[in-house]
Amino acid sequence: MPAETINDGILEIKIQGELLDFSAYQLIKECANRVQTESNLRGLALFLDCEGDNIESMGDVPADYAHRSPSGRHGIGPIVQQDSLNALFHCMKPTVAFLSNQVYGAAMDLAAFCDIRWVRSDIQLCDDRIHQGRTASTGITYLLPRLIGLSQAMRILLLGETLDASQLLNMQFAHEVVPIEDWDSKVNVFCRKVSRMATRAYEVHKMQVLPQLDLPHDAAMTHSLGVRQTHVIKDRSEGIQAWRERREPEFKGE
Amino acid sequence: MNDSTPLIVETRDRVRHLILNRPQKINAIDYAQHLRLYKEFERAEQDPEVRVLALSGMGRGFSAGDDLTAAPFDQDDPFAHRKVELEMGSGPSVLLESCGRLRNMTKPTVALMHGIALGSGYDYSLSCDFRIATPDIRYGDPRIDRALWAAEGWSYKLPRLLNLSIVTRVAYLGEEMDGQKAYDFGLVTGLVDGEPDIRESARSFLDRLTQVAGEAYARSKRTLLASLDTNFNTALNQVI
Repeated sequence: MPAETINDGILEIKIQGELLDFSAYQLIKECANRVQTESNLRGLALFLDCEGDNIESMGDVPADYAHRSPSGRHGIGPIVQQDSLNALFHCMKPTVAFLSNQVYGAAMDLAAFCDIRWVRSDIQLCDDRIHQGRTASTGITYLLPRLIGLSQAMRILLLGETLDASQLLNMQFAHEVVPIEDWDSKVNVFCRKVSRMATRAYEVHKMQVLPQLDLPHDAAMTHSLGVRQTHVIKDRSEGIQAWRERREPEFKGE
Repeated sequence: MNDSTPLIVETRDRVRHLILNRPQKINAIDYAQHLRLYKEFERAEQDPEVRVLALSGMGRGFSAGDDLTAAPFDQDDPFAHRKVELEMGSGPSVLLESCGRLRNMTKPTVALMHGIALGSGYDYSLSCDFRIATPDIRYGDPRIDRALWAAEGWSYKLPRLLNLSIVTRVAYLGEEMDGQKAYDFGLVTGLVDGEPDIRESARSFLDRLTQVAGEAYARSKRTLLASLDTNFNTALNQVI
């Protein structure tokens, strides 16, 4: 089972060399909720080298879901997975996925639901669910066309092509490709950078963008006005002061 | 042309040029300038001699963004009754109003950007139909680097202009773009030389827009923008 660690204000989860089961999804959900609510946490980093769901054995249905589990042979459905990805989607602080080696199926969904995706140069990414006669029902069918455009989303979800680093960069799924030999150091530097960002301002950016994906223009403008009037960012004073003094700001994420 | 006018308004070959003219501040935009733009967008829309609106800047750049050193605005303000003084500044913002008016113009609108186009300068560009830039431009929204944040409509517009995957880089991380990167992302329509004058360099593009059938353009633009907010069947009915 994956475990979480906190490194310089970034909560890190490593799912490497193991499959996803209910306990992994529960952990991701709890971590996303923690990052959202605990002021000392500035972001979430998800390290993925994972071939997706353990379809042979997802484990016991978490107790929270017992009342939502329908009877019959079709199982619980994707409720646990959806809740986990929903928690990632609604975590307004920075979320970053670091992908290496093989990332398949639902592990790709986890990466897609993060804000930023870095891939190691050896990455092989594939949504193989279509080849298994399974459907991607985690919410990825909503998000992926908005992330990379409908044309490329169809290529991934409906053809199940295996994609390498340069293909992922070209289709804008990956933000950065890092050679294997530089991976650890560059990932570390990037995490430290994220932990020093004005993460409260980041939250307010994100809480405008995501809901407005589903809002018409006029409603979106009203939403932005409301957000502007109801969110105070303490780091703003430090940002302006640092600009005046021509120095790097020291943000607290407040 | 009046060298001291903060906003130069001139019409050349049926193109209404609005030229930001505070070159000593790299065309940083203060409240009064936002109000001037708000009024001039409407005048251009109403003027039958005008076929295209082009927004550009004098001097070293298009615009460095909001003028953070500006004194408080103490003149007649049409939005005074809606102003709320907040710890992070006044709101609602005149920029939202002026960007809204620019976006809703039925005539072709173009941002001609050279040198620097940041912050609210970038916001105005997102409200135009087209963006033309020089290869060496510094373009984007670095406000997040100062814990400043904008609520002027970019959060609706940018994900419709670009894939969300790119929005996260530009908006959340404050990644600056040069002209080639903005072009590769699909945000910029074309790259031109900034010397000696971007308005001249972009002339063939502007001329092309003046030849477009105005009513067809207006209807197509209205339909296109409305279609962003609707489902497929409703969009079909709108076309009918």
